[in-house]
Amino acid sequence: MKIILASSTNVFVRGGATFFVDWLGHALEARGHQVDTLMLPVSEEPNALLEQMAAFRLIDLSQHGDRLITVRTPAHLLRHPRKVSWFIHHYRGAYDLWGTRYQTLPNSPEGIACREAIIGADNRGLGECARVFSNSGVVRDRLRKFNSVDAEVLFPPLPEPNPFRPGPYGDYLLLFCRLAHHKRQWLAIESLRHTRTPVRLVIAGPADPDAASYVDELRVLIARYGLDDRVSLLSRWIPDEEKTALFAQCLATLYFPFDEDSYGYPSLEAHAARKAVLTTTDSGGTLELIEEDRNGFVTPPDPEQIGEAMDRLFSDRALAQRLGESGPERMRELGIHWDHVVERLLA
Amino acid sequence: MRIAVLNNCVPFLYGGAEYLADALARKLQEFGHEATVIRMPVRWDPPERIIDHILAARLLRLPNTDLAIPLKFPVYYVPHPNKTLWLLHQFRQAYDLWGTQFQSIPDTQEGRAIRDVIRRADNEYLPEARRIYTNSKVTGDRLRKFNAIESEVLLPPLLADSAYRSGETGDAIVAIGRVNDTKRQLLLVRAIKHCRTPVRLIVAGKTESGAYASAIELEIRKHHLEARVEFIDRFISDEEKIELLSGCLACAYIPYDEDSYGYVTLEACLSRKAVVTCTDSGGIDALVRHGDTGYIAEPEPKALAAAFDELYLDKVRAARMGAAGEELARSLRINWENVIRTLTGSS
Amino acid sequence: MKIAWFTPFSANSAIGRSGRGVVEALAGLASVDLFCFDKDALHATSIPVRRFASHRDISPATLAEYDFAVYNFGNYLPYHLDLFEVSRRTPGICVLHDFVLHHFFAAYYLEHHRQSGEYVAAMERLYGAPGKAAALASIAPRGQRVWESDQSVDFPFFEEVITGARGVITHSEFFRSRVERVWAGPLRRLPLPYAVERHDDKTLPRDRLGVEPGRLVILTIGHVNPNKRVNAVIEALGRVRASVPAFQYVIAGPCPDAYRLDLEALARKSGVADAVTFAGRVSDQALHSLLEHADVCVNLRYPVIEGASASVIEEMLYAKPVIVSDVGFYAELPTDAVRKVDPHSVDHLAAALRDLLGDPAPRTAMGARAHEFAAEEFRSDRYAAQLLEFAKEIRRAQPILAVTDRLAAECARIGVTSSMSVLDGLAATLEELFGNPPPSTSR
Repeated sequence: MKIILASSTNVFVRGGATFFVDWLGHALEARGHQVDTLMLPVSEEPNALLEQMAAFRLIDLSQHGDRLITVRTPAHLLRHPRKVSWFIHHYRGAYDLWGTRYQTLPNSPEGIACREAIIGADNRGLGECARVFSNSGVVRDRLRKFNSVDAEVLFPPLPEPNPFRPGPYGDYLLLFCRLAHHKRQWLAIESLRHTRTPVRLVIAGPADPDAASYVDELRVLIARYGLDDRVSLLSRWIPDEEKTALFAQCLATLYFPFDEDSYGYPSLEAHAARKAVLTTTDSGGTLELIEEDRNGFVTPPDPEQIGEAMDRLFSDRALAQRLGESGPERMRELGIHWDHVVERLLA
Repeated sequence: MRIAVLNNCVPFLYGGAEYLADALARKLQEFGHEATVIRMPVRWDPPERIIDHILAARLLRLPNTDLAIPLKFPVYYVPHPNKTLWLLHQFRQAYDLWGTQFQSIPDTQEGRAIRDVIRRADNEYLPEARRIYTNSKVTGDRLRKFNAIESEVLLPPLLADSAYRSGETGDAIVAIGRVNDTKRQLLLVRAIKHCRTPVRLIVAGKTESGAYASAIELEIRKHHLEARVEFIDRFISDEEKIELLSGCLACAYIPYDEDSYGYVTLEACLSRKAVVTCTDSGGIDALVRHGDTGYIAEPEPKALAAAFDELYLDKVRAARMGAAGEELARSLRINWENVIRTLTGSS
Repeated sequence: MKIAWFTPFSANSAIGRSGRGVVEALAGLASVDLFCFDKDALHATSIPVRRFASHRDISPATLAEYDFAVYNFGNYLPYHLDLFEVSRRTPGICVLHDFVLHHFFAAYYLEHHRQSGEYVAAMERLYGAPGKAAALASIAPRGQRVWESDQSVDFPFFEEVITGARGVITHSEFFRSRVERVWAGPLRRLPLPYAVERHDDKTLPRDRLGVEPGRLVILTIGHVNPNKRVNAVIEALGRVRASVPAFQYVIAGPCPDAYRLDLEALARKSGVADAVTFAGRVSDQALHSLLEHADVCVNLRYPVIEGASASVIEEMLYAKPVIVSDVGFYAELPTDAVRKVDPHSVDHLAAALRDLLGDPAPRTAMGARAHEFAAEEFRSDRYAAQLLEFAKEIRRAQPILAVTDRLAAECARIGVTSSMSVLDGLAATLEELFGNPPPSTSR
């Protein structure tokens, strides 16, 4: 099949959506399809939103390709007779973040009208799609709430082939993601303080550009609790080889961002390495993947209870192994593999 | 600098402009810039769609970008405060191709209005660019003639950094590249028939139509030129090309009315070989000075035959022309360093 | 919302008088500053007044701090010149008080700029070849001047002030539909706000007004010119005199001498010379007193050049039965609140006068209904609220309008004209995308 893969890009900002599109393209090509990937530029500036939507709408792809798969908003406005959307997020400042401090449009008659125009145009574009898929249950719920669109959840898998491999269940818990306050590395440190076993913690990942002071706070926290010899803080870009080794040899992983949309790639990476994931009840999308005492633990965001779960895993490696080995099965159950994704997108 | 190379695209088509855009981005990266290619889809028919895409280009934004380098219509209309145009071509159907068999817009009142809109869009928007370079003198002349816009020629370098070398001056004229009607290899074969010396001809490249291949074969057989003309009808690798150029007497490149100088012309110069072209070949004369670096012959067999004979009879002169060609190419600075410096304004 | 209210506010300006109540009501709902260029005394008001000598003293930056500028346009160049110039630079909501602005623009181009070429060009731009021809005739020596003839309604010139406006307000339905024919932007009809203050203690006795005792008083107020159809009234009175009680027809308003002599001759010919009084320009107090004493008001127009009539509203607010022409704004008044007559028929007019003069009951009933309707319809507070609602609507239309405007500007730049089918496609695309934004899901 000839497939056009269309998305938007906030030029020179390589985020999750960019990788997502690359990986999808590779997965499609690996299955014998011919793929052309279009990344159209968009600015997030509120004044530019509607004009850009009109620009997308004026671009006509209908002469080309057997299928158009749109990913990041507002690519679903592109014209094509055989269009599906794998919708990964709204322009959130006009949707779920409206009415919060992250609202990006003014609360004026103009701002309200702009928001309504965005919703109306999205409804039009999504309504034209033969199918709409979302990347998580959270986004599916938002599509239903704001756009009255029923989307099918299609969880994004790791890229093919992924380099993660199983290894010994070691003596450290791994928290691998960007260093940012809402990713709550601080909660991991607070929790470690309550452990009774000598379990160690490795926090690894590059700091967000504006998060230098946050990293300092983490260091202060570690020193204050005298945990220097039990916590390794690797605040930098981690090369692939080092990353896979960190996953291969950990006891289990931690991932408790605050209220995230999706389960996050670190959880998938953990499962690819046959490791359990310890998460919290307020982490959002991770709860769609992690089941209590099956492929991880789900505790309240309470340091003592998290600490207790950490001890359990350290004291019982067989438990850590059992939970870790359940990961792949849980992923298959949710259809988190490219065969499923490609089959659904091209159905 | 963060530099966006802008190109238009017809999905699933990958041709010269696409190679050039990708090579430019790659080279920009080599020179320490962050660079990306942004492709905007276009649709040419029905003709009014062209205007939709002009307007789409106007409504798009290019965030986070320090410099935009557009190459083609209509993506060169995307507004950006720091835009340097490297013009490969305008929409020629509205210019020199109007009134020819290639005119794709109907000659109706509406069609003429669309043509005029395209011309006016160029008049209005192209001067927004801080600097305008064209890929050839022909493109620049057209821009001056139709739009009264001045530009400078910036010849595109070879895409790959292949090591062309100069071997013995041989006794064959080589014609390398895609074989088709507009490249006129048949005319070369006919010229051999009129040669008085035993000069040989090697036509090397893939034919685009069976009919043209047959015509060449037929011409060879009809005039019993099998011993003097070699026709290699397949894709020629870089290595083969280097080899062919290295040991030839001279290179012939006689397309009909081409804008650009022709990569093979430059490759011949870098192999220190004379080049034979025709008076109606177009931009090739950027590198071929008659009697100095090669021959610019009338496009008829006898004139070409005379040039071939002269080269064959005076190989010392042929070699001297080759050396002069290399010197001319170097003096024209047809290299990526020059292109990058010029386009980024750092020369 | 913050509003810059541009109006003539001279004590002599009727537009200023009508607007005063609105801005004061508006001030209770939004923040309002009054901008004016008048040189003489102003109406008294509690609203902050910013006075300027010239439009040059107001930059777009000054107005940038307001959500809207509201421009009140009338037909009189000295009052509206600077206001017009500001509106060119900072588009706002145009309130059109007059349907015909030809006097304004004739004066603007021919007297202010002394550019007859620009006048002709504007007429051609707005009305094509007929406009050009009429303009050329107007500037020819001894030519037919459009603004001095009934032709002015064919070349009303209001189009010139609303070009580029953010919104337009008219005070009548007929005018709204005329604007709609040439303008696609936000448009609203609002009833012209007007209020009168009736102080019995200020009413002069009849004898001080030259009104004889025992006669019914028929009153026409305002500038006297052929457009007001006073001649038809005099003729009609001649026909009904024998069949109705004694009356006196008072014409209160300035009248050129030559025209008055014509009318006086007509009154003699019609046998009503003794019952027709030309009061000339009268004081505010005399006008008020005449309105109090009047039994019937006659307020005719043909053709209609105003967008609405403050004088009719004023008469209705005095609870008087008013005879009006059945055209324009006047035709839109309720049939039981005013008596409408065919503007071309003296018979109709005579019948109306006979009905109203002959019997006090319908007079009183119609006057009461007139008062009831006018007091409810022409309220300043409602006008202010509706104007704000309209402003809010315009702001809500703004984001999509900005896209449309941007595309229109690009099309204009590259010569995409309305004759090209691509423009229809473009409009359809925008309609498809933004045409019917759904109501917000949370507010």
